[in-house]
Amino acid sequence: MFSVATFIDSFGPLLYAARYTLLISGLGIALGLVIGALICAARLSPFPALRRFAAVWVSFLRGVPLLVQLLLVYYLLPVIGIDVPAMVAAVVTVGICASAYVSEIWRGAIAALPRGQSEAAVAIGMSPGDIWTRIILPQAVSLSLPALVNELILLVKASSLVSVVGIMEITRASQAQAATTYRPLEVYIAAACIYLAINLCLAAVGRVLEHRMAV
Amino acid sequence: MDPMIFVQYSPILIRGFGLTILAWLLGTVFGMALGLVIALVQRYAPKPVTWVIQAYIEIVRGTPFLVQLFVLYYGGPMVGLRLDPLPAGIVGLTIYGSPYFAEIFRSGFRAVPHGQIEAARAIGMAEPAIVRRILLPLGLVSALPALVNFSIILTKETVILSIITVPELMYQVQRMSTETFRFLEGNFVLALFFWGLVEVISRFGRRIETRITRHLIERP
Amino acid sequence: MVQASSVEIAKVNKFYGPFHALKDIDLSIAPGKVTCLIGPSGSGKSTLLRCINFLEEYSSGEIRIDGQLIGYKTPGGAKMSGRDLRTMRRSIGMVFQQFNLWPHMTALENVAEGLRRVRGLSRTEAEARAAEALRKVGLGDRMANHPSRLSGGQQQRVAIARAIAMEPKLMLFDEPTSALDPELVGEVLNVMKALAAEGMTMVVVTHEMGFAAHVADRVAFMEKGELVAVDAPARILHQPEDPRIQAFLRTYHERNLF
Repeated sequence: MFSVATFIDSFGPLLYAARYTLLISGLGIALGLVIGALICAARLSPFPALRRFAAVWVSFLRGVPLLVQLLLVYYLLPVIGIDVPAMVAAVVTVGICASAYVSEIWRGAIAALPRGQSEAAVAIGMSPGDIWTRIILPQAVSLSLPALVNELILLVKASSLVSVVGIMEITRASQAQAATTYRPLEVYIAAACIYLAINLCLAAVGRVLEHRMAV
Repeated sequence: MDPMIFVQYSPILIRGFGLTILAWLLGTVFGMALGLVIALVQRYAPKPVTWVIQAYIEIVRGTPFLVQLFVLYYGGPMVGLRLDPLPAGIVGLTIYGSPYFAEIFRSGFRAVPHGQIEAARAIGMAEPAIVRRILLPLGLVSALPALVNFSIILTKETVILSIITVPELMYQVQRMSTETFRFLEGNFVLALFFWGLVEVISRFGRRIETRITRHLIERP
Repeated sequence: MVQASSVEIAKVNKFYGPFHALKDIDLSIAPGKVTCLIGPSGSGKSTLLRCINFLEEYSSGEIRIDGQLIGYKTPGGAKMSGRDLRTMRRSIGMVFQQFNLWPHMTALENVAEGLRRVRGLSRTEAEARAAEALRKVGLGDRMANHPSRLSGGQQQRVAIARAIAMEPKLMLFDEPTSALDPELVGEVLNVMKALAAEGMTMVVVTHEMGFAAHVADRVAFMEKGELVAVDAPARILHQPEDPRIQAFLRTYHERNLF
């Protein structure tokens, strides 16, 4: 019933495709970190218009399913005259979507710092710039690391959706493999195993980071 | 942009929306129920049982929902599990949500101060009564915000059911887009629709939350 | 007068892993007597108290309530069934440092809960008895309040009402006033004093030396898991022979100088 041979054979092409899964989620989180930092800064800025914009950005991206966002970008780009490979569109969409979550993670980390710390810095006469770069950011960044690793795990899983725009990552590759072998059960379980392996590794990294912080 | 196509396609869009809500509602309710059972078993069952359940939790949380659906819908028939798209989608949502709900219930239970359980033990209450009268009501209240939050996340996951051809809203919008060659409009409206839906549900959730937790907030 | 239990503690030891938390404790408490357990924090007094109703499992030795072994079927044998343990606990009331009221229930419901679920009384009867218990602790006018709307002292009195409504023959108090603001301590101690006057057997872990001096029949001093001395309050609190007790009281008095 369950063909072990097909199951094992599936790993070759699927592992090859895994590099795209990793590429999309890796670039996605990188882009998400950059845009997320900007959005977080806008959210905490003294300008109401910027704050409003950031709030809408976050609320929209968190409210709309990634699959819909993906198709929206995919169909929007040609209309506004941008012609890029599907791969670029996918990374940009994943990164923009991640930025909403990343900005909230950073906002949370900054809010978690005791107020007294910046008050103490003010009291000894530090400038606002110094307070941010010397007191708040170093702590907030390390506080947020476990949550960011978690976000990366979510992106690895979410990247399976870019299969619908034809990118040969793990999920798309497993669909192709299932179509040629007529053994979807084995192939999809193999795909699940690869995702699981990637995410268990990432989760282990997250635990190490969390542990180091607790000390 | 031609609003007439939405009018023209409104019957199938409305039917699709109905299925979206149905799948979400059943998936959420069943997923919550399964999650609650898992959380209680994890709390009271012997070690080996909890290891098996922990493995289940890790597997479901470590793999994409789409791949889980593929295993269930395309792989299921190979082991005699033949499901139509909609039931497969609902079962998939139930399984996908269960470990997250279980985790939410577990931390809800953990938030119940141990002393309140001990007080019940000290007057001789039996464990089932303690679960029913103390652990559940208190645990549920502290779990409520996270439950609402995750249920909202699940509304967004329902669109993935379109990939295994469940004719829910996403599926119908794609059908409309293909037939009218209006790919952008359909998805744009769909995005606005989900945005609104999620906002409304979260606002509603916050209202219930303040009502239920009103006794639990210290106001001496 | 209430029906009161005796407590016999014999050669009780308790280990947390390698840590020896209770060392060969012997203590007997006659019916209707009030015993205060005092000593520095970490001395094992709360642990001993919690062993008496088996919220904490003791490792060896025997604890008997009215002659009946609690927690184990036979000394050093298998644990007793949950049902038997619950039956014994029905006649042992306990009051905790943190009150441990159930926040989703009103004061009345907190007190009635045990009567309904454990004693199987009807709702009306349970609430009638709960109301009576609440009036006894002076909270007849607060029955419909949730714990979040009560002061610490009121919450602790509800907790006492919850325990006495079950008509216990023995009451255990685990630092009942330690979590209270100083001005609220008195109302709780008064309720306890009234309970003692009714002839209830009471075991009280406390830092209130005044209560120990005036209400207790006997005071037991513990340190590092050992029961150092048990005697009349005056003998322990005013003419202690053991240097450990002298040191403890010195620290206590010095702290109170400020």
